[in-house]
Amino acid sequence: METTKDFFDTWIKSQERIVDNLTESRKKIQQALWGLGSNGEGMSGFGDFQNIYSSWTNAVMNALRDTGTVDINVIRETLSKTLSGSNAYLKLYEIWLPLVKAIREKTVSPDAYKDLTDPVKHKEMLDRLFGFDPDAVSQAASQARKFLETFTGSVQQFMKPWAAASEKSSKTFPTLVEGHPESLMKIFHDMFEAFDSTIGRIFHVPAIGKDREKIELLLRGIDDLSVYLAKNIEYQNMMYATGLGAFEKVVESAAEKIKSGEESITFDEFFDLWVKVNEKTYYALFQTEDFSKMQGELLEASLNVRKHFFKLMELYLYDFPIALRSEMDDLYKTVYEMKKRVKGLEKRLGEVKREVTI
Amino acid sequence: MKSPFETFNMKNYLKELSEVNTKLIKGTETLVGIDEIDVGTAPKELVYKEDKLTLYHYTQEGKVTCNVPVLIVYALVNRQYMLDLQPDRSIVRNLLQHGLDLYIIDWGYPTKADMYLTLDDYIDGYLNNCVDVIREKTGNDKITLMGICQGGTFCGIYSALYPEKVKNLVTLVAPFDFSTNDGLLFSWAKNMNVNALVDTYRVIPGDFLNAGFLMLMPFTLNIGKYVDMLDVTQEKESLLNFLRMEKWIFDSPGQAGECLRQFIRDCYQGNKLVKGELKVGERLVDLKNITMPLLNIYASADHLVPPAATRPLNNLVGSTDKSLYEFKGGHIGVFVGSKSQKELAPAISTWLHERGNEEPVKKNP
Repeated sequence: METTKDFFDTWIKSQERIVDNLTESRKKIQQALWGLGSNGEGMSGFGDFQNIYSSWTNAVMNALRDTGTVDINVIRETLSKTLSGSNAYLKLYEIWLPLVKAIREKTVSPDAYKDLTDPVKHKEMLDRLFGFDPDAVSQAASQARKFLETFTGSVQQFMKPWAAASEKSSKTFPTLVEGHPESLMKIFHDMFEAFDSTIGRIFHVPAIGKDREKIELLLRGIDDLSVYLAKNIEYQNMMYATGLGAFEKVVESAAEKIKSGEESITFDEFFDLWVKVNEKTYYALFQTEDFSKMQGELLEASLNVRKHFFKLMELYLYDFPIALRSEMDDLYKTVYEMKKRVKGLEKRLGEVKREVTI
Repeated sequence: MKSPFETFNMKNYLKELSEVNTKLIKGTETLVGIDEIDVGTAPKELVYKEDKLTLYHYTQEGKVTCNVPVLIVYALVNRQYMLDLQPDRSIVRNLLQHGLDLYIIDWGYPTKADMYLTLDDYIDGYLNNCVDVIREKTGNDKITLMGICQGGTFCGIYSALYPEKVKNLVTLVAPFDFSTNDGLLFSWAKNMNVNALVDTYRVIPGDFLNAGFLMLMPFTLNIGKYVDMLDVTQEKESLLNFLRMEKWIFDSPGQAGECLRQFIRDCYQGNKLVKGELKVGERLVDLKNITMPLLNIYASADHLVPPAATRPLNNLVGSTDKSLYEFKGGHIGVFVGSKSQKELAPAISTWLHERGNEEPVKKNP
């Protein structure tokens, strides 16, 4: 079978790359083992050791990418999630490494955990876990800008400062991770200043006839997008802060175990502890009314963006010879009502027939 | 007492990482060697079809020893083959072996053409039609309803509307009292703007619901589970069972908007079923109308449908013959756990046999 052959060709090549990586990494691992603790140089060996996974996982995913059938999809999805799970496992390992170094040098203490934690890596892991996409907001802003550009060339540069502010905002998240809530206010300040100096101007533009509706809808959509962005920042901040709190508990717990005389905990044990503590900490957050409300507001904000986007699409597509969403909704409604009526009549007919027979 | 971290050993860490890599490689070899993830394999025949719905009758290879047919009604969320996920842990096969005559509803996958389907359409329409088909086919005036999760809520509502057609009611991990905040879904649903959700999506994507389920235990379900899976990847059968579960978890039909709107607004947010204020079509649902024997099964560690939502049913119905069964486990364990096969299925069978019809036992069709 051609697909199978292709798969194994790719597979073999990936195995060759793994061997190359292993050979190279082994040298560095040996250096790491000898040199660790003196100047930290040895740590780089571990980074390369882990590259074995990335080259190998990429190869596997490429090999599986174009193989059809439903079950293959399940296998592919599962493999993807397994690799993603393993990546998170290894990401935790990367966070664990500086801790390991401190353990080696006997300088670790739960109070110093912040110095041992790379907030960017921690954020990456949480982004992966909760599906946060830092690029999504700037992409949405960019899409809105393109809409406006398509609409009229005279406002081509209109959205750029706002989009730039959005992009800048999304990059401020690592600062939030480090526990500076005041940066949240800075984000809003930057964003709304940009918003006011760009979008605000349009309110001074004279009415422009039938296209005014489109402009107003677009502005409403942008307004919704800014509400969504603000909610999203609040939500993510809540999640990151909880994640950091959980990690502090993990380090404390690990340190306690060792202080109490247990043998050094293995990375697997550390991983299990990390999962357990995080689940418990996040569960406590998820149970609160505040979280439930925040989640509800975030969902509503995202739905508003989507709803206005669809309306806008309809306005732009109205003159084209295609069925629009709202028109299809009407059609579905008519079909639904007719089917219900026919089913009711058929049922009644059956009952009448039975009555006549009796 | 040892000094903190004195016993740290770098070689162990390397060994651990190396083991993960080995497992990953061997696991992938096993994964790509699996051709088919077979689920729902108990033999069955199609007996009725309406729109996206299909009604199946399971083939009874032995003798039917309980002459009241049982209609299994699963939730609209996820797929009914959970009850027959793997051949050696199948509640369906287990109940068949105990001599029950089983039917099951497959609700299908709604599309936008189904966006206007209401709770009334599902319960007073599809479910009622299936019950009538079975009554006619078997010659029984009444049948047993066995509802699971949301399907159990549907069966409870149906039994209150049509008590004359229901001989016995069995509910498994089915929510009735939505006032609790014990389960996260119950708490989250209360702050959800369901009108905005339905008006925007029309048919709510299965992925949306799945995202919510994964948030219940994000670290275990997104990372821990897959890391743990690496330990069983070398055993093909264990891996296959893992994949069967994965297939089921992510095989999520969309939800017809109007039905979901009413279910969330009236049940999760308004708790109208318990208050006697729920309207299905033009009719008010009064749970006191449930007078047939009731077996209400709940799972003590259910994080999806907590016992606080399931247990109160027994105090709300008019039945005098009513049993409450505690399954020691979680929501999913009810269907695929070993205790489910050894204890729960036989208990359901015994309970139903004791409440069969008095007429002679029917022969195998």
